[in-house]
Amino acid sequence: MSDEEMEYSDDDFDAYYEEEFDRDVDHVDPQKNDPEYFHVACLTDTEVERLLNESVEQLSNSIQVTPSLAKLLLHMHGWNQMEIVAGYRQDCNRLLTTAHIKPPTPPQPSTSAQQGDGETTCPVCLAPMSPDNSSHLSCGHMFCKDCWSKHFEVQIVHGASTGIECMGSNCQVLAPEDFVLPLLKLPRLREKYQQYAFSDYVRSHPQLRFCPGPNCNIVVQAKECRAKRVNCTACKSQFCYRCGNDYHAPTDCETMKRWLTKCADDSETANYISAHTKDCPKCHICIEKNGGCNHMQCCNCKHDFCWMCLGCWKTHGSEYYECSRYKENPNIAHESAHAQAREALKKYLHYYERWENHSKSLKLEEETLAKIRERIQEKVMAGTGTWIDWQYLLDAAALLARCRYTLQNTYPFAYYLESGPRKDLFEYQQAQLEAEIENLSWKIERAEMTDRGDLENQMDIVEKRRTTLLTDFQQG
Amino acid sequence: MANIAIQRIKREFKEVIKSDEAQKCAINVELVGDDYRELRGEIAGPPDTPYEGATFQLEIKVPETYPFNPPKVKFVTKIWHPNISSVTGAICLDILKDQWAAAMTLRTVLLSLQALLAAAEPDDPQDAVVAKQFKENHPLFLETAQYWSHVHAGVPKGNSEFSKKVRRLMDMGVGEHQALVALSSCNWDMDRAIEQLFS
Ligand SMILES: [Zn+2]
Ligand SMILES: [Zn+2]
Ligand SMILES: [Zn+2]
Ligand SMILES: [Zn+2]
Ligand SMILES: [Zn+2]
Ligand SMILES: [Zn+2]
Repeated sequence: MSDEEMEYSDDDFDAYYEEEFDRDVDHVDPQKNDPEYFHVACLTDTEVERLLNESVEQLSNSIQVTPSLAKLLLHMHGWNQMEIVAGYRQDCNRLLTTAHIKPPTPPQPSTSAQQGDGETTCPVCLAPMSPDNSSHLSCGHMFCKDCWSKHFEVQIVHGASTGIECMGSNCQVLAPEDFVLPLLKLPRLREKYQQYAFSDYVRSHPQLRFCPGPNCNIVVQAKECRAKRVNCTACKSQFCYRCGNDYHAPTDCETMKRWLTKCADDSETANYISAHTKDCPKCHICIEKNGGCNHMQCCNCKHDFCWMCLGCWKTHGSEYYECSRYKENPNIAHESAHAQAREALKKYLHYYERWENHSKSLKLEEETLAKIRERIQEKVMAGTGTWIDWQYLLDAAALLARCRYTLQNTYPFAYYLESGPRKDLFEYQQAQLEAEIENLSWKIERAEMTDRGDLENQMDIVEKRRTTLLTDFQQG
Repeated sequence: MANIAIQRIKREFKEVIKSDEAQKCAINVELVGDDYRELRGEIAGPPDTPYEGATFQLEIKVPETYPFNPPKVKFVTKIWHPNISSVTGAICLDILKDQWAAAMTLRTVLLSLQALLAAAEPDDPQDAVVAKQFKENHPLFLETAQYWSHVHAGVPKGNSEFSKKVRRLMDMGVGEHQALVALSSCNWDMDRAIEQLFS
């Protein structure tokens, strides 16, 4: 073995121990075993302002530039101080040029027309200008202050702020805050400018996100940009930190986006299935779905069947796999283009129908929750126990909602997953989760008849199935 | 209209008509009405392009906030070019949008448009059909653009095969420009053009 190889194995050895150490830490912090654990802070704009100003101050001290320029640099470099300081030490001129703080070529002597007596005219309004009513950026393009003000006004009306450039032809030098603000006369414009700039800074900051909740001003801070669930403390909305849309584990952000676009494009074709009624497969009486549970019982013949596949529920329990999984036609490659198109639509509808159905079940289960509250209220009034005694029913309903939400989001994932052992495993786990969720839903709807221990046991099983699936398949 | 805008347009108008380019008849500008809100621009097709020998009329509208906002410019003369709509004459050019600077002038705009005729940007198209032909069948694009210059912009000669096809469609009762558009966008395939026109 050569020396080099020896060195490598030493490194491997260290890496092995580090990994071991990390694993130990995992055991110490139980929250890290939760695949959905994600630490965020919900900040108000004052808190964000403070956080940004700290970075600005640090940078302005360490490379000796004005706070305004430091802010511009941070904005252009995704608030990465280290990168800026390193770039500054290496080639300060290049750093300032690429950030559009300095022009690529040194400023030319004023291009505006000299009028003999040293007075010049503003190239924009053609009025005479003197040194005290004109100004310029680092590029040396001199304009009168009135023109600068009008320029900024027009730009702000267009929604610009941090990106406002010089008025010179083909000049891309940016106007920093301390240049713009003194030239804005109307308080309303100053306010707008600061508001737009603030939004730009939050958007360029890798650790910050605006809460997507309606009229919510909270900014969420997280150390890493991951597709994890965020609960806004102010408006209570839930969303994915990475993409800002509804939370969607185990599906990743891009797949989810594709799926939602597809659903929107195909909404017409999918409409026919959104009916709320189906016929009982045995006595053919029309049955309306009024609970979230997919285990249906015909009010007429008492036949137990599955709402999704209309199969008999008894055999279904053990063969749930057959209901959630889409069975592809193995000979499809040899079929005509028309048959392939029909097959593609069939496959999409299979997943869409299940996705849509769970979303409806979620809404119906909200009604169930309201009913549970009513029933608890009645019981408490009648002296059978207190709210604390019946709390477990509310917990069960909350858990059911969380699990069904995850289940709903497994369908886009499965739709785009390529056939193979990984998909088989996924669909197996999905089917297991589905079966246990329906059991739980059935038990909650009939809570009075269900034993508390039995219900809590079922809750435990469902949550375990959910976390297993998320741990094995969650991405991003 | 705002005083700055009027002052500027007055001066820029003079700048254009006294420029070297105007002396060589490459660009020109005329006032429309007397309030400086609207002008009629003119540019000559650059040499060694399918627009050579052609003259293009432009509609130039001056906004109230000029020069802090760019002038609104479009082609009045029909033209076959990836960055100019063959239907409306709308132009896709950065300096007429976010790259406008208050220090730019009408002369800058006219010269930039002339430069655009010499160097199209098919990856930033205004007219997707033209851009596709430009990229996938460049010789046919050049022929088509030259033929449009002949039909609409005063160039004496044009492809005689194209003329025959246009005439055949006109014999079927289709207007000349409509026939030209259908044939140009179907790569001069007669059957497809007929299908497009009559379906
Ligand atoms: Zn001025
Ligand atoms: Zn400049
Ligand atoms: Zn919120
Ligand atoms: Zn996401
Ligand atoms: Zn029945
Ligand atoms: Zn089923």
